[in-house]
Amino acid sequence: MSLKRGEPLLSMQALAQQLLTLERRHQNAFDDPADEAARVFERLRDALARFAGLSGFTSLMRRALALARADDPSLRQLSVRADGSLEGLEQLSSDAVLAIIAQFLGLLVTFVGEPLMLRFVREAWPDASLDDQHGTRD
Amino acid sequence: MSSESKNHERGRVPIRRLPTGVPGLDEILAGGLPEYSFNIVAGNPGGGKTTLAHQIMFANATPERPALYFTVLGEPAIKMLRYQQQFSFFDMTKLDGAIRFINLSHVVMEKDLGAVLDVIVKEVENSNAGMVFVDSFRTMLRSAQSDGSGMELPDFIQRLALHLTSWQVTSFLIGEYSEVEFRDNPVFTVADGLLWLNQSAERNSIVRKMQVIKMRGQNTVPGMHTFRITDDGVQTFPRTLGLTASSSVIKGGRRLATGVPGFDALLNGGVPEGDSMLLAGPSGSGKSMLASQFAAEGLCHGEPAVIVIFEELPKDYVRRAGKLGLDFVTPQEAGTLKIIYIRPLDLSVDETVHEVIAAVNDLGAKRVVLDSLVGFEMALAPEFRHEFRESLYRMIAALTRTGVTVVSTVEVQENFTSMGLSNYAISFLTDDIVRLRYVSIDGQMRKMLIVVKMRGGPHSIDMHEYTITDRGVVIGKPLRGYRGLTSGIPETWSWEARDQRAEHSTARARDQSDEEPPQGKAE
Repeated sequence: MSLKRGEPLLSMQALAQQLLTLERRHQNAFDDPADEAARVFERLRDALARFAGLSGFTSLMRRALALARADDPSLRQLSVRADGSLEGLEQLSSDAVLAIIAQFLGLLVTFVGEPLMLRFVREAWPDASLDDQHGTRD
Repeated sequence: MSSESKNHERGRVPIRRLPTGVPGLDEILAGGLPEYSFNIVAGNPGGGKTTLAHQIMFANATPERPALYFTVLGEPAIKMLRYQQQFSFFDMTKLDGAIRFINLSHVVMEKDLGAVLDVIVKEVENSNAGMVFVDSFRTMLRSAQSDGSGMELPDFIQRLALHLTSWQVTSFLIGEYSEVEFRDNPVFTVADGLLWLNQSAERNSIVRKMQVIKMRGQNTVPGMHTFRITDDGVQTFPRTLGLTASSSVIKGGRRLATGVPGFDALLNGGVPEGDSMLLAGPSGSGKSMLASQFAAEGLCHGEPAVIVIFEELPKDYVRRAGKLGLDFVTPQEAGTLKIIYIRPLDLSVDETVHEVIAAVNDLGAKRVVLDSLVGFEMALAPEFRHEFRESLYRMIAALTRTGVTVVSTVEVQENFTSMGLSNYAISFLTDDIVRLRYVSIDGQMRKMLIVVKMRGGPHSIDMHEYTITDRGVVIGKPLRGYRGLTSGIPETWSWEARDQRAEHSTARARDQSDEEPPQGKAE
């Protein structure tokens, strides 16, 4: 599978949604909805940084953001910090967050393939039972 | 099934291969350039690096995924554009949006590597570039190192490669390097692909060669591949050209008539289809004539032919064939015959193979004549002559894999003590060998022919006299009653001598009356 720019990321969106849902389960009453998104990115960063380095993760995050921006101009307010974290996340809609995560996962599929991408995701959420049908594409 | 499909089935990430736009190079690279790879094009000055880079750029850049060409100090962009637009691949319309030239000279001169990286990153992010070229990368590093400030070189390379790859960019750093500099250089360690272009001079001839020193994840064709720069840009000639093809022709499935009366009978019906036959003999023995008749006979039977000549100009070759009644003009006009005249002195074997195979494919040729191998050797650049045997092997192997039947001629220096097959020890290359030679009989210099070897089956073992007439080669009777014929100075065998002399006199008289041209008629 080779994801090209502009190609629908439906299954990646499904997986991204699954990751957000996983984080939502840990949410307590005082959490801001943006926190669950931040935690998703943080888990991804921890898993990826071990493999690709912080600068590798940051580069991929910047690319994912640029790809997501093409479809959602509201993402222009968002920026990637030097440590790979996102600045301006709290002002985003859930769809916008979803789009960035999906693009990020799609980039991983493009570079290392789907099985390895899923392995990274499982490393980031070791206790979770991921639904494979959402993480794979026909 | 493509490797991409196989990888997909095995769950491995498929890597798309980008076409290079350089004839022959995709074959060397096992399909093209890996998308998003970080490559280096290195070599000595004048090696064709910039031309190659431009060719790749014009083949792939689109307005949606444009190419950025960063120039640094080396060749000014305006000068580069002036000369590069002379090549046929240069598409002026792509300069509107698909290709952008950006000069980094001022950043390099006034700032440091960190600033250079920032500019490249910014331009890539703003343009959604699909390809990035930095020319000359070496110049940029020299300049950056000299000021001793800013980012360290390994860090710079690492970050540049990482960023460009993450941004789904296929990138090329172009630089002048010598081979010894490849060791322990961080640039080459980080690179996914490393193309080395080289040109060398030997005895007034220039030979250009290319090597894929490194290409991650791909089974590239190893070794040095010759290339040429023409009005169309770089054209490479892979060492495996033609050797990976498979022929649908079953060798020896049928016999091809030679058009020479009596010769087919000696060959048990003709030349086995798909074979390579060598006609070896001294100057004037009729090798070229025999080969021409073979080609002409095929043309008469609707079998297109390619004749490769190295010494004689095509018009002279055609004119000489015409004197024998062989019409090479009409089939040339009809597109069933191509006579290739190989320009001498700076030729590579792979280039010759490429040209001949292209002609064979264009015409759907069934017969190929190489006249002569001595001329072929002379036409090669000096650098290739010492490996002539290996080169010849590759050429004949590549040709016969196309399914054509090849007849080559080779001149043998006659010494009248033995019967050598050639001066090159090349007989192992061919399926069939026919030796032509002069023999001294009864005070006359006569011509004798023998089929020395035929891999495809039985053949005549007789030594036949033959004559050269205004209708071409005519096979005569077997020369019996002599011993030492292969030495060229035979003696009669006493118990048959009388009968043989009588028989021979009769035969000669008959040949003279209805076949022989006037004395002194040459090939």
